[in-house]
Amino acid sequence: MTRETPTRDTWVRLDNASNIFLAARTESDPKVFRVVAETDHEVDPLILQDALDHTYDRYPLYHAVLRRGIFWYYLQDSDLRPAVSPENQHTCAPIYQSDRRNLLFRVVYHRRRITLEIFHALSDGTGALWFLTDLVGAYIRLREAGEQQDAPTQVDLPSAHPTDDVADAALGLVPDSFAHYFRRRNRGEAIPDEVEAARELGASRPEAAEPRLPGERPAGLGRLLRPLEKRVYRVQGTRTPDNRTRAVELTMPASEVLALARAEGVAVTMYLTAMFFEAIRRSAGDLGTARTLSASVPVNLRQFFPSMSPRNFFATVRVEHTYGEGTDDLGSISRALEAQFRPLASAPSLARKLGRLIKLETMPLLRIIPRPLKDSILRLMNWGNNRGLTVAVSNLGRVVLPEPAESRVGRMLFHVSAARPQFCAMSHGGLLTVSFTSPFSETGHIREFARQLTERGVDVSVAAARVTEAELTEAALAGAA
Amino acid sequence: MARCEACNVEIEGSWAHCPLCGNVVTGSPAPSPLPAIPLSFSRRRILRALFLISLAIILASFAAQLFFSHEFANIGVARSIWLGLTALWLVVLTAARKRRNLAKSTVYLVILVSLICVYWDFLTGWHGWALTYTVPILCASAIVALLVTVRLMRIESGEHIVYSGLTVLLGLLPIGFVAFGWVTTPWPSIICGALSLVALVIIQVFGGRAVRRELGKRLHL
Repeated sequence: MTRETPTRDTWVRLDNASNIFLAARTESDPKVFRVVAETDHEVDPLILQDALDHTYDRYPLYHAVLRRGIFWYYLQDSDLRPAVSPENQHTCAPIYQSDRRNLLFRVVYHRRRITLEIFHALSDGTGALWFLTDLVGAYIRLREAGEQQDAPTQVDLPSAHPTDDVADAALGLVPDSFAHYFRRRNRGEAIPDEVEAARELGASRPEAAEPRLPGERPAGLGRLLRPLEKRVYRVQGTRTPDNRTRAVELTMPASEVLALARAEGVAVTMYLTAMFFEAIRRSAGDLGTARTLSASVPVNLRQFFPSMSPRNFFATVRVEHTYGEGTDDLGSISRALEAQFRPLASAPSLARKLGRLIKLETMPLLRIIPRPLKDSILRLMNWGNNRGLTVAVSNLGRVVLPEPAESRVGRMLFHVSAARPQFCAMSHGGLLTVSFTSPFSETGHIREFARQLTERGVDVSVAAARVTEAELTEAALAGAA
Repeated sequence: MARCEACNVEIEGSWAHCPLCGNVVTGSPAPSPLPAIPLSFSRRRILRALFLISLAIILASFAAQLFFSHEFANIGVARSIWLGLTALWLVVLTAARKRRNLAKSTVYLVILVSLICVYWDFLTGWHGWALTYTVPILCASAIVALLVTVRLMRIESGEHIVYSGLTVLLGLLPIGFVAFGWVTTPWPSIICGALSLVALVIIQVFGGRAVRRELGKRLHL
């Protein structure tokens, strides 16, 4: 598949959610995430490069480089070609550097792993998963074709998407889905029914009459002025020596965790979140006066507002639990979190929240603020937001790959560079992986998390990336021996 | 696979101690799915600190000049050396920082050096040499340099067009100097202005579409 007009004329403004990643990135949190597929053999880099070339041609969005305008950042088409490389940087190493026009993703391999790393302003977890699915699918097909002597030289490489023109166009530099669904329009464009219904329920209601759901926070400045009596606990720790993200992966049978969550009558994400809260509380020893733990949970908007675009299209929902106010056992906490999460992660609530955000973005006064100033404002808002968060959790759910990749790929997992302790869950092939990332060297909360699982009879295996000098020296000695 | 009895977990990779709790592990090591990446230290923080300190010293130097009014004839040579060194420092700093985009770097340098020269002229008692000679010559050479550079280096129009345009517009400013009677002789300004007009026509003819496209992109609201 070839693109019709590979020119630099093609550009698109960065969407509402993506701008925050540019403003909020720091040395220890470059806003990069990775998705990984582990195959049943050592990865062949030549075949992987071939597969990447095929997949790259199908995703014009991934050709984009990031540029800076006076008022906004924008993505612009480029003629660059990506190359696979062995994994020689720590997880979620920075990708975007201002003034440098490089691709916003990289594909690396190590032993049996194929890893896609992406700067978050380009795409979200779902979009990245589409790309990785196509990449791994193409890789496995090319490899199997190579194994069969009498195989045809032309290998059919279907995609994770329907291959009609509409779907292909959606993979390009199209306007973002936020604008498509939530921007107020007055030219009588067709709005899908489900959005109309969601608007009826929430978005179009006058602001004053809007009932605020429990846990939903006031917009604007109100969110900076958090009531003092509910002090949110924030994890402190020793930063890793070179500011890299500390990553520890826990792998376990998905069915066992699912059974535990079902026994409490909650979904896996909220069960694991409750377990995370409990792990933080146990490893902290004493929460002091800050007895509220809170988590930010991204919600994929495509499940409510259909979109084929791999660009960012998610919103975050915040849930919290205060210790010492009633029952604090794992089951009760997870049920309480679930009760908060369900109404917030619903189409009407999200439509209302995003409607507000987009309205803010499209305010004439804010639009004419130059980009560097906008960045500072966003950074300040992000700082205010961070003050109310203990952890972040993200769950991509159960992934099924198209055959023949499905049977050749074992566990799949993902990492996110982190400003605070965080986990990313994902399941494939009956294995659930919970990857913890953190800017700190300490692993106390991961230890408590793993122990809670093993206490309940779950088999857990741990893989950790080495971050401290002592750990790396040990690896060097083991390698020499 | 190795095992930590305290945490009751299997451990991938060759860890002598459990990465979670630090207890000694049992069993034989398995290969790690994650590579051991040596520590790396970026120079970015120290470079940023040096940059900010430099900038502070440069600004302080320029400000300090105000305290030595031009009646102090005896500091004349010292002042020139001091201003020259500071200006050079600023030029090197700017050129290094903006090295990835030649056109952008040119605009920055034209503006900075012009401002320094005007200030210098003001400090030494307004003889008008900065506006009469330095600024027009600077602008004119920047325009010629850019026209040559983008051809020789085959820089794509989208990459430089906005900054080339800015340089050319800066080249029109000296015409204003003549109009306001700020100059002692009009010729450098007139030559610079004429050159800018020629460059403007060249850009309009050969890159008008690119300019409009690029401006549309950068000024998009």
